[in-house]
Amino acid sequence: MFTKDLIDNLLSTSIEENLHKKSEEIKKRDKEINSFITLGIEEAEKASKEIENKIKGNTQGKLSGLVISIKDNIAVSNLRMTCGSKVLENYVAPYDATVTNRIKKQDGIIIGKCNMDEFACGSDGTSSYFGPTKNPRNIEYVPGGSSSGSAASVAADFCDLSLGSDTGGSIRCPASFCGVYGFKPSYGLVSRYGLSDMAMSLEGPGPFAKDTYGIALLLDVIAGKDSRDTVTVEREKLSYTETVEKFNDSDIKKMKIAFAKEFFEGVDEGIKKIILDKIGDLESLGAKIEEVSMPNLKYAIPIYYLVVFSEFSSAMSKFDGFKYGHYVGGQDIVEAVSSTREAAMGTEVKRRVLLGTFVTMEEFRGKWYTKALKARSVIKEDFKRIFNSYDLLIGPTMPTLPWKIGERISDPLSMYSADILTVSANLAGICASSQPIGNLKQLPVGLQLHADSLCESKLLKGMRAVEIACGGM
Amino acid sequence: MQLHEDKYKDLNLKIGLEIHVQLKTDQKIFCECSSDYINSPPNNNICPICTSQPGSKPMGVNERALENLLKIGLFLGCKAYEKPFYVQRKHYFYPDLPSNYQRTSQPILGNGSFMGVGIWEIHIEEDPGRYELREGKVDLNRCGVPLAEIVTAPEIKSPEYAREFLRDLLLSLEYLGVIRGESGSIRADVNISIMGGNRIEIKNVNSVRGVYKALKYEIVRQKAVLQRGGTISMETRHFDEASMITKTLRKKETVADYRYIPDPDLVPIFISSDRLNEIESVLPESPHNKKKRFMEEYSLGEEITDALISDLYLADLFEEVTSKSNPLEAGKWCATELKRRLNEKNLSVSTSKINAKHISDMIGFIERGELSVKNAKWIIEDAVDTGKDITLLMKEKNFYQINSEDTLIKIIEKVIQDNPKAVSDFNSGNQNALHFLFGKVVNETEGRAEPSKTIKLIREKLCVVS
Repeated sequence: MFTKDLIDNLLSTSIEENLHKKSEEIKKRDKEINSFITLGIEEAEKASKEIENKIKGNTQGKLSGLVISIKDNIAVSNLRMTCGSKVLENYVAPYDATVTNRIKKQDGIIIGKCNMDEFACGSDGTSSYFGPTKNPRNIEYVPGGSSSGSAASVAADFCDLSLGSDTGGSIRCPASFCGVYGFKPSYGLVSRYGLSDMAMSLEGPGPFAKDTYGIALLLDVIAGKDSRDTVTVEREKLSYTETVEKFNDSDIKKMKIAFAKEFFEGVDEGIKKIILDKIGDLESLGAKIEEVSMPNLKYAIPIYYLVVFSEFSSAMSKFDGFKYGHYVGGQDIVEAVSSTREAAMGTEVKRRVLLGTFVTMEEFRGKWYTKALKARSVIKEDFKRIFNSYDLLIGPTMPTLPWKIGERISDPLSMYSADILTVSANLAGICASSQPIGNLKQLPVGLQLHADSLCESKLLKGMRAVEIACGGM
Repeated sequence: MQLHEDKYKDLNLKIGLEIHVQLKTDQKIFCECSSDYINSPPNNNICPICTSQPGSKPMGVNERALENLLKIGLFLGCKAYEKPFYVQRKHYFYPDLPSNYQRTSQPILGNGSFMGVGIWEIHIEEDPGRYELREGKVDLNRCGVPLAEIVTAPEIKSPEYAREFLRDLLLSLEYLGVIRGESGSIRADVNISIMGGNRIEIKNVNSVRGVYKALKYEIVRQKAVLQRGGTISMETRHFDEASMITKTLRKKETVADYRYIPDPDLVPIFISSDRLNEIESVLPESPHNKKKRFMEEYSLGEEITDALISDLYLADLFEEVTSKSNPLEAGKWCATELKRRLNEKNLSVSTSKINAKHISDMIGFIERGELSVKNAKWIIEDAVDTGKDITLLMKEKNFYQINSEDTLIKIIEKVIQDNPKAVSDFNSGNQNALHFLFGKVVNETEGRAEPSKTIKLIREKLCVVS
């Protein structure tokens, strides 16, 4: 396994050298790809020396000096945290997110903060105040979003692992477009403390890697209950890396996998074929494959965006420029707040704040927000029914290949529709992943797996099965 | 009948209060910062959570704060709702509110009563920071201090009773040990309506006295408007503490929309009946039960009982006195003279120097005929003011009654000599002259002459003289 071999290799060679190689690559190529907003090379070098010493004494943590990039909406103390926005252009985080803290404790080397769609509002990585991220597979194409820099930095080999966040596909979409592994954990498995808010009831941090083992490794480090996030729960006792390591070909025979035709509606024919071929491969390896129905999937997008707008407009209230961030000022409080927000927020952010304010107004709340919350439980029921009989639900991650940069920026509805296959996992709070299984027109195609809430082990086994079906080590 | 209720009967005056008190805790409601916002320099007790840094999340509702709130509710006879409650976000922009929304829970308990006034509901919320408008400065030390909001039914019928209600409620909460002592005050939103007008809300009144003054002002204002043929339409007014008047804040047509949503960062909280039972079992007796018991156990009248239980420290003191003295006497003295003096001095039993021994000693002196009822009132005042032992005060004030017939006769003879007219009046059949002479003897002895003996001796002397 790639990441496992890498660690073994690192332990016997030099982690300082690994870090140096990465930072050289970044210097050479990131001007173009633009996957980082802030780099912390000096801090990283200091950390690498300390970890090197630990390795000599064989006391190193699980991450053993792997180089890790972190999405810029997750707090790393003393590093800038911009959320891809002018609003926080000069904001330096005064504390570590729980996930950051856990990565540091397990001796991951944080190399920098990744570019992203402004406040995670976007599906293609082009709405950042710091300029669009480009797809390392082909720089004319979008990398997907909103964790654009996280996916791109892994794909470009600027780091070994990355941490992103997923509210409606923000990990899986860029993982699919950039051809890397991305994992959205179940809601409540990974602490959100230190993750800047987009839609609080939907999102959480999650890992990017170059293989299933890498995903399991970072998940082992970040998962588990946190007193600073009341929605978190205890994790399974079993180690995720062990689950992946112990998995072998014959285990595929025990798997019951469902696919729903609704997950293929409107999907690019080429992508459809690649996914169906892979499902066929799994079947021939012994997995039991059956077709099921997800009748309410068509409601997922409107439900998802109503929840997002409502929670996002509430979360964005704090950015008034008084305490931190960009400040314009005015004659009175109302003018000061509005002129600051007018000047510093991008178009998509403003659109979502305004729509969210509208749908949560007393007059309309019953019509929109409350209804959306009710409809959300219908989607949950659909998944529950499926996971009563199956281990996994399989399908494509994205309905299309990456598009060219700038192509969809003026049409929010076509942008929103790109999320059709990813948002339902967030609405249901279950876990889901994306992994590369082939290419179409020299662009990567991602396969999506879903498993029930807090069944991360099942999902990792599924990813490993697909990895094996693709001829992976 | 509430205090001064009849004064406002014709107005059909209805007053309801929304009372905010700070709950006693070591830490803030959603983080681990110290909740002591008074004794530390500005912006000292703050962290990423209570200053709403990007990415920070609230920790769960502080357990101690919730427990104190439940104590208040149960003490006021409320029932807890059976459904789990959500913490909601109430959105408005203000510099002292770093997230620009206030976290405030759904009602947790309701349906209680205190001093004959219904308690509609009680919920928990976070206090914002403090904003100095003139200097443009914000201190976030107070941000996140837990508050309980107690909402009463509009059943208060006079400003005087509103004042008494608040004063007694505060004393009870202090007695329970559930509110911050040093704040000493409350913040209240006051709702008032009179016949022929709509409900007016007065926001953010910051003291018991302020509530009283605001109500007095509003009644006069609303009466005047109605008399001129004007109308009182629904609005929110602001109370100006300096000038003691209220001013329009906003008309209800432009009612603020706080866009409440359940806070997605906090899981709903369920309060088990086990937990409620546990709290109830260690709770002091509720005012309601205490009243019933006092009237049955000590045969006290309702008026005396109400006066005693309005200050639970006073009720405790009374019960302590009964172990040594006659309960009826103890009740009478505690409920009348002692309470009057405490009110005059703006004290409570807990803040004054009075104790049970003072009262039982004093009753002892009266019963032994060594202290007159009249002087006993002075003794109580001195005991409240100085805390000195009663025996010592008796000596200092020279309050021992004169019982010796020889001494009394000497004084009576002098008085008779000095007032020949009264003597002749008595002889011509005027009984009032006897009382006049008795008064003179009382004055002569500074109230220390034992009354029944004195009357008897005067009568004897007069008959001899005639």
